[in-house]
Amino acid sequence: MLRADDKLADEMTLLLLAAFALDPSELFEMKVRPVLAGKCYACHSNSRMGGLDLTSREAALKGGNTGPAIVPEKAGESLLVQAVAHTHPKLKMPPTGKLTDDEIGAITAWINAGAVWPAKPLKEPPPPAEYRISAEQRAYWAFQPVRKPAAKGIDELWLRALVAKGLKPNGAADRRTLIRRAYFDLHGLPPSAEAVEKFVADKSPDAWAKLIDELLASPRYGERWGRYWLDVARYSDDQLASQFEIPHPSAFRYRDWVIAALNNDMPYDVFVKAQFAGDQIKGREKELAAGTGFFALSPEQQDDRVDAATRGFLGLTVACAQCHDHKFDPIPTRDYYSLLGVFQSTKKDEFPLAEAEVVKTYKDHRKRIEETRKELTELEHTQSKELAKIFAQDTARYVSAARGGIATGLDPAVVERWKKYLAQPTHEHLFLTKTPEELEETVLATLREKERIDAENQVRLGLNPERRDLSNADLLSLDRDRHYLWRDLIHDKRASVYYFKGGNDLDPYLSAPFLARVKALRARLKHLEETSPERYPFLQTLSDNEKPADIRVQIRGSRDNLGEVAPRRFLQILSKGEAAKFANGSGRLELGEAIASAENPLTPRVIVNRLWQGHFGLGLVATASNFGKLGEAPSNPELLDYLAARLIEEKWSLKALHREMMLSRAYRLSAADNAANSEIDAANRYLWKFNRRRLDIESLRDSMLWATGELDLSVGGQPRRLGEEPNKRRTVYGFVSRRDLDPTLALFDFANPNSTSERRIETSTPLQRLFLLNSSFVERRAEELACSCEGLAGDEARIRAVYRKLFQRTPAKQELKAGLEFLASGGSWREYAQVLLVSNEFVYWN
Amino acid sequence: MNLTRRDLLKTMGGGFGMAGLAPVAAGAGTHFPAKAKQVIYLFLNGGPSQVDTFDPKPLLTKHHGQKAPSGNLKTERKTGTLLKSPFEFKRFGKSGLEISEIFSHLGAHADDLCVIRSMHTERPNHEPSLTMLNCGHTLVGHPSMGAWLTYGLGTENQNLPGFVVLCPGYPVIGPQLWSAAYLPGRFQGTYVRNTSDDPEELIRDVRNRTLTGDQQKRQVDLLGKLNRMQLAREGADPSLEASIASFEMAYRMQAEALEAFDLRKESEKTRGRYGAGDFARGCLLARRLIERGVRMVQVYYGNDQPWDNHDDITKHAKLAATADQPMGALLQDLKDRDLLRSTVVIIGGEFGRTPAVEVSGLVDVQNGRDHNNHGFSTVVAGGGFKGGMAYGATDDFGFRAVDKPVHPHDLHATILHQMGLDHTKLTYRYSGRDFRLTDVAGRVVSDIVS
Repeated sequence: MLRADDKLADEMTLLLLAAFALDPSELFEMKVRPVLAGKCYACHSNSRMGGLDLTSREAALKGGNTGPAIVPEKAGESLLVQAVAHTHPKLKMPPTGKLTDDEIGAITAWINAGAVWPAKPLKEPPPPAEYRISAEQRAYWAFQPVRKPAAKGIDELWLRALVAKGLKPNGAADRRTLIRRAYFDLHGLPPSAEAVEKFVADKSPDAWAKLIDELLASPRYGERWGRYWLDVARYSDDQLASQFEIPHPSAFRYRDWVIAALNNDMPYDVFVKAQFAGDQIKGREKELAAGTGFFALSPEQQDDRVDAATRGFLGLTVACAQCHDHKFDPIPTRDYYSLLGVFQSTKKDEFPLAEAEVVKTYKDHRKRIEETRKELTELEHTQSKELAKIFAQDTARYVSAARGGIATGLDPAVVERWKKYLAQPTHEHLFLTKTPEELEETVLATLREKERIDAENQVRLGLNPERRDLSNADLLSLDRDRHYLWRDLIHDKRASVYYFKGGNDLDPYLSAPFLARVKALRARLKHLEETSPERYPFLQTLSDNEKPADIRVQIRGSRDNLGEVAPRRFLQILSKGEAAKFANGSGRLELGEAIASAENPLTPRVIVNRLWQGHFGLGLVATASNFGKLGEAPSNPELLDYLAARLIEEKWSLKALHREMMLSRAYRLSAADNAANSEIDAANRYLWKFNRRRLDIESLRDSMLWATGELDLSVGGQPRRLGEEPNKRRTVYGFVSRRDLDPTLALFDFANPNSTSERRIETSTPLQRLFLLNSSFVERRAEELACSCEGLAGDEARIRAVYRKLFQRTPAKQELKAGLEFLASGGSWREYAQVLLVSNEFVYWN
Repeated sequence: MNLTRRDLLKTMGGGFGMAGLAPVAAGAGTHFPAKAKQVIYLFLNGGPSQVDTFDPKPLLTKHHGQKAPSGNLKTERKTGTLLKSPFEFKRFGKSGLEISEIFSHLGAHADDLCVIRSMHTERPNHEPSLTMLNCGHTLVGHPSMGAWLTYGLGTENQNLPGFVVLCPGYPVIGPQLWSAAYLPGRFQGTYVRNTSDDPEELIRDVRNRTLTGDQQKRQVDLLGKLNRMQLAREGADPSLEASIASFEMAYRMQAEALEAFDLRKESEKTRGRYGAGDFARGCLLARRLIERGVRMVQVYYGNDQPWDNHDDITKHAKLAATADQPMGALLQDLKDRDLLRSTVVIIGGEFGRTPAVEVSGLVDVQNGRDHNNHGFSTVVAGGGFKGGMAYGATDDFGFRAVDKPVHPHDLHATILHQMGLDHTKLTYRYSGRDFRLTDVAGRVVSDIVS
């Protein structure tokens, strides 16, 4: 049986269909969809208010929290119609105002005509099928086991590829060039003239090998090559904070640990494991815990740790799988959350480098200081607040006095404060136009209201304001005008007319017993501060949460759309069979072990490629942190595998690999151009010549300080700002800021410490040249250099001495002539020395 | 790598930029004829409130003090009942575009303004929204729009940087917002603290403080001579040649940059039109730099996040008092010099504010608004953007963009389009992937441009 309104609606349906000659789907498009889109979708599309989505027929049929929105052919039973027609007892939609009768009629008619919804609904992607890695994906080169090619060494493989391309390698560089190359490469500093002369004269067959060994044994090696790793580790001495600097107080211990690890030739597999879980490696905790700084100092971004871990150690871009399965590599989204679960099961911690006793003494002492300080400030604050209330009672008299009236019996300090306040050009409330008596009444009423609100808010906060997230607390406040009145006159935390902050201002108002107590507390605090022990040294490390837990996949990266649980375990593609779940705490040690396993084909390939990139300027894989499908294919895969296999054979010794690379003929080529080769391989991908490179900023700054004899070679410790004069330490020990990177570092292409960096881009910009021409740093070095050879007789002798120092050679005739002419025409020695310090011969190495 | 010096000069990019061993050549040029050549981005950092500036909401006034009928959208903090704007909206220009009284100087240019009232972005937090508006991503580590533009187009004046950023101190996140990230470093914004009228205080090492011009000339000549001797000895090498060219440019640049940043060269009258303060100085510098061919100038209103008025929205009036006049003067100057036609001027913040009052425990007085990423306004003028129009709409109270929503990706795509660039083709291959300013999204909003 039709109810009356249904009948009416039916008639309207026919009427509408007839009137517009519309079929039901047209009716929907012309009359209904615009209403839904214009009036409903603000709340009932993506945001699904009340659980209701009105963007498809299916969704409307499913309805929201109160049931289906539409019942096809039964408009009267449809909640949608009841809500828009305001016939439902509660639901009255849309909230912005009732629809017109025409609009309601159209919806009614449309539902009665079967609720035809022509367009396809916004397709939800089908539920994810079980992720399968295809045979083709498995066959990708980077996932194949490392196979050592049958070859005598680097040179055979290098030359084979070179010849195959029709290239002819350059001859060897001269010996002076070679020793300079080795020094800049391994130390980031030039050799002394004596070292060059000795090497040039040493005709023994193992002279070169001896030199390399000597350089690798120097602490300067770790300072240079550690910095390459610090680029990968996005090392910084502070956080990316917006308002003010938040330093990482112990970051430098991670930096020093990296440098020492390289200097001691720590096996790379241990180096890797230590950075995930050095504190969990039994018996070596003290030695290796600092390694976890790799993660303990990471930027506060959700995907950073997965990103840095996978790009840094594995050359895989797993963070790309945050929102969807990796488009190119066999990395399902679940893998991303498996790794993220590991990191989310950890927290940042400190690892004291002192006896438990020392730590306890320090902490106890700090606790006493805090307690005393708290007692003192609370006592003062209570007194100050009471005092302010007393003054407030006399507001009428105070304001009159401040305007020139009688001040008898009033506190002169308060009168002065009132005068100052009234003299301010503007006030954010308008109560000052009132009579003094009205003003006083307003002040007292405001005070009472404020106390009432504070009490109520205390209740709302469960009597413990620190326990709640204040950004989500629903609290009361004074209205705007009264708030400003209260803030200006009575506010008890910042300057206000009636509030006297503890200390000298307050003391005169305190009665004897209070004053005595306050003074006693102050004395005690002073004593405690003076006798406080120094903070013990500590490492910034990770520790596991008490309850490590798997997390769920966030579908399309949305926290509001959770999918399946992603068990904490290693990447599927790098596991044999189903990856085993991690069982030990967060699983970070197991993760480190899986990465550092000799079975893992990526880890050794990625690190030997980084070494190759450091020595030759370009990796065999040019994308050093991406060995996936979108990375560059290796220019010489056999050589890459040879090196990776050698690393394992050498028990992960990086120094052994440095040595082997540098002893190769490939490393010793000259940098000269060759037109025929350039025609084939302009980018020198196959290494027919040595690549000339600009000194990076560390080497440039250090070399300038070295050239003038000023370089301070002390090792490790707290960072200092590079701009701070006289900071003459090696640049690697300078303060590296995520928030505000030193402008000179930034100018010369320093790695961005906010994310892991695979390689520095080398630029040559005019702003860099302005630094070289005009900065006080370079000017001072020039001054020093000029002075350092002042004792010599005559300009020619001095020029020769400076050339020997900077370039370890004698000047050519025309160079000498140019220098002498410059000096003769009035150029100063400082200006001359600067020219040499910024010349291409100083700034570039080959 | 056998590029000749000529090749390098041809492919040179970002003004202060000069190709070294960078892996790509920039300045490939436009993809199609450009409507605009330059960009000024006036960034009102902190999140200016749309319902108090460019998006009038009579229903908000009407329902002041009541709960929003459909509830409040989730933002960063707790919000309560609807809060009407303390400011009046007025109709300006022939178009009758409605703009708040606190922006009356801007209002005078209403017929040149395109107010996009349907902006929206992902998160109600400053950092991700700042990076989204500036770099097209919610995470740090991606190049800024100015870096993309100089990478794509190079600069018109080789003696000045292609992308200049002005702020008296730092906005939130600071240099990440004008970073070149994985683009070659020369495309990074050149950051200048606009706190002085004296260029030497503004640009580090722009002038030699100990040598006279003649002395430095002699020095640079010797340097060139020795460098060329080395080059002759070593044989052709693009990096050495690039370095020589770079020194020559640096030397020339000293004079030009000193001139461009010297506000003492402006008349009293002009200074008066812009008004006082760092932002006024920034706007005037922007005009001087645009006149000299700088590709993009970005001016931050102030340090940290001045427009972040959680507690009292009436503070917007104070902020506008030092923002409105210089923006009006800048638009007037650009028009007078016929530069507005070819310069896109963008005015806006990282998001808007809630029409509902903030009641969180973090504010002392409940007369302000929380962050609102669901809907906000951005104003664009010049460069072929249609004037005198409002585009898109938020809901009745100004909470959410409901009609013709425009995402920052869309805004970026449209700006690039006006600059003659196809946002899907302006890519940079980094670590194996082609990156874009617009990530994998963005559409040109063709209704707002001609």
